[in-house]
Amino acid sequence: MGKHRAVVTGTGTVSPMGNSSDALYAGLKAGRSGIRAMTEWHEYFGKNIAGAPVTLDPADTKKINRKIRRTMGNAALFAGLAALEAVEQSGLDQETLSGGRTGCVIGSTVGSASSMTEACIAEYENRRDDLSACHFFRLMSHSSSFNVADMLGINGPQLSTNSACASGLQALGTALELIQLGKADVVLAGGSDESTPLVASSFQLLYALAEEESPEPDKISRPFDAGREGLVCGEGAGVLVVEEYEHAKRRGAQILFEIVGYATNCSGWHVSHSDEKQIANCMRAALADAEIDASAVDYVSAHATGTKVGDKAEAGAIRSVLGGEVPVSSMKGHLGHTLGASGALELAAVYGMMRDGIILPTRNLEKVEDCAGILLPREIMERDIRVWVKNSIAFGGVNASLVCRKPI
Amino acid sequence: MNREEIIKAVNSIFIERFEMDESELTPEKRIADDLQLDSLDIVDMIVGLQQRFKINLRENKEIRNVRTLDDVYNLFEQLIREHPEIAEKLQ
Repeated sequence: MGKHRAVVTGTGTVSPMGNSSDALYAGLKAGRSGIRAMTEWHEYFGKNIAGAPVTLDPADTKKINRKIRRTMGNAALFAGLAALEAVEQSGLDQETLSGGRTGCVIGSTVGSASSMTEACIAEYENRRDDLSACHFFRLMSHSSSFNVADMLGINGPQLSTNSACASGLQALGTALELIQLGKADVVLAGGSDESTPLVASSFQLLYALAEEESPEPDKISRPFDAGREGLVCGEGAGVLVVEEYEHAKRRGAQILFEIVGYATNCSGWHVSHSDEKQIANCMRAALADAEIDASAVDYVSAHATGTKVGDKAEAGAIRSVLGGEVPVSSMKGHLGHTLGASGALELAAVYGMMRDGIILPTRNLEKVEDCAGILLPREIMERDIRVWVKNSIAFGGVNASLVCRKPI
Repeated sequence: MNREEIIKAVNSIFIERFEMDESELTPEKRIADDLQLDSLDIVDMIVGLQQRFKINLRENKEIRNVRTLDDVYNLFEQLIREHPEIAEKLQ
């Protein structure tokens, strides 16, 4: 028996650009930035570094029942709100969600970075008894995944792909495989993460953070640009409804796009140094999995975070797999790096580009030097995106590539 | 600390932690059956009471036997009667 096909029937996002997929795409299309000076972090860094935080209306968070919300840190809260949007768009009913054939796969770098910090402070101050009974559930690695499953009454497979900044894309790849193998009809899949001073400082220690205090913080994140100085820490969630093709057709769901191939690998030698050869191998393996030739790729949504080493390695890998004629862009100039959320969140935005037949350029890209040899649009480019590749690259030497196509 | 103050302090836990309306909080309400607190909430109720009254309740057996809000009010009335320093610390 052949593999089942997997399509996307809903997207939901919470991002520095706003808390819906429409707000995210509209902001990107208008060239806006979700990045600002983090004055609230001044005491930690001694200056106002740039960041890309999510702003939540407390009334929105109350869409989630208190007994679910109590075990959610911010990452899970973002995932919960994104999941509600995705399910609404998809039109899934409760019978399907709770019928045992719907799964939930959502990954994060850490279950809740802020909750982990709080627990450490309580431990240090000998105040363990002050912690809520729910606290540990907020910081567990699979917090977003089980909280979303509980919120929606999902009772099929529940997994969490915790691979730092590749978490979201690995979740989507896992969803694809669950559906291809016939183990689920529907999977809510994606990633979520929180940005905190501790998270930002983990990049700062490695000289990978854009830590300059600038009067124009929106210009700090510069993927592929010759003057890039590092990434800007963002946060958010992206959750997509991935559904078996016949199942989606039977219930009359709108098919947004199809996921046709996936691969993930690791460098096997270094925890933080991007590996051009293995990124290329990952992209080739994803295309082979999709049974799609490299010549058919119309667009690459790059991981490119704005670090000196990472962007150069990814550009080299794209060049070696696809040559120099395929348009490539990164959304991290607009959004900063939304970490484990980025793969799924950015994929939701690529859907808008596919629908409108345009490729959005990389914000703040002015001069290309070491990332030359790939096509990096500087303005909105009209293009029928029939097949695209989404990359994610993470600490731990992890790479993930997903191949998607327009519905056919 | 008189009974009225105790009721106000206890109720504040239910209002802040469990997002309840003050009008729901009448003495006869059963904590599990009427106010719908489950096992995690009951632990958090104890955590909240510890913080509010600045005492340790982890080893207190009676707090585990409370059934109604009135039981909680009565327990704190008794604790404060037996240990006036609790109220003094809160001044």
